[in-house]
Amino acid sequence: MNNAITLKGVRKTFGQTTAVDDLDLVIPANALYGFIGPNGAGKTTSIRMIMSILFPDRGELSVLGFQSAMEAKDRIGYLPEERGLYRKMRVGAFLTYMAKLKGVTDPSLQKRVESALESVGLAGTARKRCEELSKGMMQKVQFVAATIHRPDLLILDEPFSGLDPVSARLLRDLVLAEHKRGAAILFSTHVMTHAEELCDSVVMIHQGRKVLDERIAKIRRQYDPRRILFDPLDPDADLSSLRSLAEVERLERSERGYEVLLAEGTDPAQAMRRIVQTVTPARLEVSRPKLEDIFINLVSGGLANTESVEALRAGLTENAAKAAAV
Amino acid sequence: MRRVVQVAVREFVVTVSNRAFVIGLLIMPALIALFAAIMPRMFSGRDYKVEGEIRIIDPTGLVAPQVRAALDARQIAARRVEQAERALANAPAAVRDLAGKPVDQSLQAALGPVPDLRLEERPASADIQQEKAWLTEKSPGLPHLAIVVIHPNAVTPTAGEEGYGTYDLYVPSNVDDRADGEIQQSLREALINARGEAQSLNRAKINALIQVPRVRSVTVTEGNERQTVRGFNIFLPVSVAALLFIGVMTGGQALLTSTVEEKSNRVIEVLLSAVSPMELMAGKLIGQMAVSLLVLALYIAMGLTVLTSLSLFGLFNPWLIFYVLVFFIIMYLVFGSLMMAIGASVNEMREAQGLMMPLMLILMVPWILWFPISRNPDSLSSIALSFLPPVNTFAMLLRMASNTPPPWWQVWLSIMIGVASVFAAIWFAAKVFRIGLLMYGKPPNLATLIRWARSA
Repeated sequence: MNNAITLKGVRKTFGQTTAVDDLDLVIPANALYGFIGPNGAGKTTSIRMIMSILFPDRGELSVLGFQSAMEAKDRIGYLPEERGLYRKMRVGAFLTYMAKLKGVTDPSLQKRVESALESVGLAGTARKRCEELSKGMMQKVQFVAATIHRPDLLILDEPFSGLDPVSARLLRDLVLAEHKRGAAILFSTHVMTHAEELCDSVVMIHQGRKVLDERIAKIRRQYDPRRILFDPLDPDADLSSLRSLAEVERLERSERGYEVLLAEGTDPAQAMRRIVQTVTPARLEVSRPKLEDIFINLVSGGLANTESVEALRAGLTENAAKAAAV
Repeated sequence: MRRVVQVAVREFVVTVSNRAFVIGLLIMPALIALFAAIMPRMFSGRDYKVEGEIRIIDPTGLVAPQVRAALDARQIAARRVEQAERALANAPAAVRDLAGKPVDQSLQAALGPVPDLRLEERPASADIQQEKAWLTEKSPGLPHLAIVVIHPNAVTPTAGEEGYGTYDLYVPSNVDDRADGEIQQSLREALINARGEAQSLNRAKINALIQVPRVRSVTVTEGNERQTVRGFNIFLPVSVAALLFIGVMTGGQALLTSTVEEKSNRVIEVLLSAVSPMELMAGKLIGQMAVSLLVLALYIAMGLTVLTSLSLFGLFNPWLIFYVLVFFIIMYLVFGSLMMAIGASVNEMREAQGLMMPLMLILMVPWILWFPISRNPDSLSSIALSFLPPVNTFAMLLRMASNTPPPWWQVWLSIMIGVASVFAAIWFAAKVFRIGLLMYGKPPNLATLIRWARSA
């Protein structure tokens, strides 16, 4: 099976600034890939190079089997981060125009536009001018414009930016529907939880360089910190017996109760059974490693102090996303 | 190519279906028609009557009777008709027809009521200083218009001298220039008559001696001849230059505005997902060129209708329309692409003003050079300018529309230079356009644009 996107040693600089450095990336056909990293990591530049809006200084690039996205633009859907509409144009006319630019010659294009609008809850808006729509409605129209030609590859740059939770959920469903239809999807976000919820695989970049490229399930296995979250039923329970268990290396108080760090090579299921037998828990669960923590672990080696780590973490949270949306 | 056509069609449809465009398209001919209808009425003397009293101190005793005769209403009316007929004699036949028949009546109507000027003679010994007070007196009747003091030697030269004396004229501060004109004309008439009579010369004979009617020259062309129409050789070049200017400004301004709008609306990157920057630029250029051609076609059709209705079509070389279109396309592509490059590099219209200044100055050059080139189309400077892009298009058209058109090889050399300047402008604009489209923040200056073009 052909890959949807292949990048080999791609580099892009703007003056003295290196935006993307030696990036290798393979997005298989029908993959749902997250492209994650903080603001300024090089995500948008990489995507613009994939879309042939910018051109790399160095490296090779292939999109849907072509050397340039120019040759496959009709098969690619793109929702840029900086997106807008012709304010005076009617919604239906705008979508028809975009579809025609994308090579749709369907005689029933009008019907296709109306049905696409209906699918995003905008039935009856085809005759409205774009400027009459709310911001959320505009974003739905923009998504429809990116998918009206039923692309084989859908690239979304920060698609959830500025969306309210209901619209975000709708967009997530629409992305999954496109994926189910057979489109390969690459979407960038600096909010790791979005990627965790949606993607099969993620590629993480930081300061223009790739720091991780893996399937989500494998990442969780690979970066499992052998931690179990534990909260005793009796708050005054004696936990010294727990500390003395061979499976337990360390017991730490945390905001959420206790975190049990398991000894190297311990089976978490076996350890959980031993814990239950020792102290009755109110809660006992495996602590899933978050992408955010993994990312910070991967890149914090280069950061000098805790403040820098916190600044990086702040750039990867919902708050940052909201701030960006504002 | 399909995408270019789609972009072009959208540009054309959106522009021509815009209410502002339709109003803008119709406003120019509407204004011309309005002025044509209103201006003659505004400037006609129909609502103004020259009337008032004049005092004359005439030591010769010969001029005052002649002045009285010259101020007679019938004499004034006859004089006005004679002057107007002389002016009309050189106008095209259709204009004379428009003036109406009989000419006498229509002119009288256009010139307004015949003046009512009354003359009061004062003794030759009157003190002029005291008389002057009369001018500033408030009069319940007719206004006091002037005091005329005839020089003693105004009719007969002083012994030993050859020259005649004249007269002094004193008027109040609020005298109308039309009243002043009528008085001076009547005095001139009166003095000539008085001098003639003093020498026993018949005025009719003098008139016959000095009268040489202006002939209507005939312009001879190959196999044809027609009456010469004065002013046409001035009117045609400026009309052609105006057509070019209107076409270029219509398209260039629309390209600038739509590009800035697409960038500020952030729709540009959505478009770039479907078309390449070059396809977008080409589509927009072609779409707006079609709009400008539509505007030009409309104005040319109106101009030809006017020429035909005035029977002046024969004066016009139809090939000029072809060359207007060729030079328009060259000029449009140069300016349009540069305007788009400016539009792509700024965030809002306000920021575009500084970058547009050089282009606007270049567009103003033909208006400065119009008269010298039309007057001397074969001068060295005219020839040099017709090969200097980007003003060569204007300069060559001005020369072609003049009464000594350049040889064909010069025209085509200028076209070739124009085509080369189109390639250069599009090369520069395409590079700036591609970089500028995704640049936000501080607007660039001219040096930055040049750097972008060199680095892209």
